[in-house]
Amino acid sequence: MALTILLIDTDEERARALGEKLSESGFARVVRARGSDMAAAVERDKPDLVIIDMALPDRDALEDIRSVSSASPVVMFAGTDDPGFAQEAIAAGVCSYNLSGVALQDVRPIMASAIALFQRYRHVETELAAAKALLDERRLIERAKAILMKNRKMTEPEAYRWLQKKAMNESRKLADIVAEFVQQEEAAKRETGP
Amino acid sequence: MSEVVALKRPRGGTKLRIGFLRLTDSAPAIVAQEFGYFAEEGVDAELLEEPSWANIADKLAYGFLDAAVIVPPLAFAVELGLRGVSQKLIIPCNLSLGGNTITLSRDLAGEVRKLAGSEGISKQRALAACLKGRAEPLPLGIVHAYSTHNLLLRYWLATGGLEAGRDVRLSVVPPARAVEALQSGQIAGFCAGAPWGEIAARAGAGVTLATSDEIWRAAPEKAFAVRARWAEGHPEALKGAIRALVRAAQFCDAPENASYTGALLSRQKYLGVDSHAILSSLPGGAVSQDNLSRFWCGAATFPWRSHALWFLQQMARWDLTGPVDREALAERVYRPDLYRAALAPLGLNVPLSDAKAEGAHDAPWQLDAAPGPIAMGPDSFCDGAVFDPIPTPASF
Repeated sequence: MALTILLIDTDEERARALGEKLSESGFARVVRARGSDMAAAVERDKPDLVIIDMALPDRDALEDIRSVSSASPVVMFAGTDDPGFAQEAIAAGVCSYNLSGVALQDVRPIMASAIALFQRYRHVETELAAAKALLDERRLIERAKAILMKNRKMTEPEAYRWLQKKAMNESRKLADIVAEFVQQEEAAKRETGP
Repeated sequence: MSEVVALKRPRGGTKLRIGFLRLTDSAPAIVAQEFGYFAEEGVDAELLEEPSWANIADKLAYGFLDAAVIVPPLAFAVELGLRGVSQKLIIPCNLSLGGNTITLSRDLAGEVRKLAGSEGISKQRALAACLKGRAEPLPLGIVHAYSTHNLLLRYWLATGGLEAGRDVRLSVVPPARAVEALQSGQIAGFCAGAPWGEIAARAGAGVTLATSDEIWRAAPEKAFAVRARWAEGHPEALKGAIRALVRAAQFCDAPENASYTGALLSRQKYLGVDSHAILSSLPGGAVSQDNLSRFWCGAATFPWRSHALWFLQQMARWDLTGPVDREALAERVYRPDLYRAALAPLGLNVPLSDAKAEGAHDAPWQLDAAPGPIAMGPDSFCDGAVFDPIPTPASF
């Protein structure tokens, strides 16, 4: 039995990947929509299942789909009988609405694919963010050291130790101390002029 | 020296994850966090910005959030399992009164105002007259099916003889999309919380036709909902969180703090919008007093059972709940007893009764409270109705 799945995602690439994966399985016909015309898409495509990115505010519109569709009441599928599965979906940032009362066992593998894909994308995102943070931190440390060396005539190792000690004394992260320090110094510089 | 500080302000504390939306009346939670009020009460709060009410509801239901700044009808929907899995919630503290606008496209708003002025009739009657003879119901946006906005808008429309489904078609439009939806003609107006009406006005997309106050003066708006299980497991932290929020509410209500609060809320990690749009509905920040969120004065933080029962009555009126024992539900969810217990050490004036006659006052009045009375503002409805669910015996 082929289910019609309406896929609503902010991430083009992820949506395409998931769409392909579900279509290949042969269980599903996948249609895609932008968040803002969701009600129209539900009316037009009469999906059995809506899979939606939880980062979209448009999800609230699905909660009221009864008013735009003759479909049976919307329930969040994930809540049916397995809270663990639902939690996994929410943690991955995806959720689904069952519009046509299709059986859970038919929907489950589809949602499992979606969850896995969202998790993979999230993982990549987290890694990217971590790498970027590390780079920013290094850049800020360099900047803070330069300020200390110039204004307080410290050597580079002295400047670094000074920052470390400040972080330790205030029991805060080095990254926070450095960011704050650079911000303050630059604000002071703006006030006094170049 | 640093050890003394460490003893006074314990690091960590009880973890409390609070969900909020990008709205002006999330202010008390944001202020309590930024000023360390939660930390001082031994609560290690984490504020999580969510893009939708559905996320707030699901994350409360599945335990990803311990608490949220919520529209009370949604708390009842979660409690009753009306939109997914159910979760027991309590509301030990209200967070704001007023702040919503009914915003219509410029042309329609102009037409309605003109007619209301020339005929000397209410704006809702004028709207009804403008809609007469239309082939299609007027499309209006609300923020969620289980929102204060849906209930207030329907109430207001009904007093003009307008009915959702027949004369207007309500659909859910997230407020951040409302400007675009107004411009494209997808909707002809919407009812949403601040600052979104102001943002639509600034963008030239719409005009505010009415506000919360014109529907129900001192209408309850956002509340602090907590998972009942969390509350039972952390009674002291709960009291601390209520005190922190009440302290923040006092800050947000003080006119001299408006620009500070507006600037804080406008930060990218909170509302991420122009602070002037936020200021326009903050006490002390508004040029006109048309649409104000109120946080403290007039017992704004007190979780009135009569508020709960009004919401439940209106939800039943529009067929949003099944059969339910409203009194029992209101008593289970709204917890003035916990509010009083939390505030006891502060010596602040706290209402003596759990309910009041909603709509009975069209002038300032005094509320019985201890240790001293509380000055209250008018609380009348646009149709003059009085909602008195639990009549109190006349004091002697």
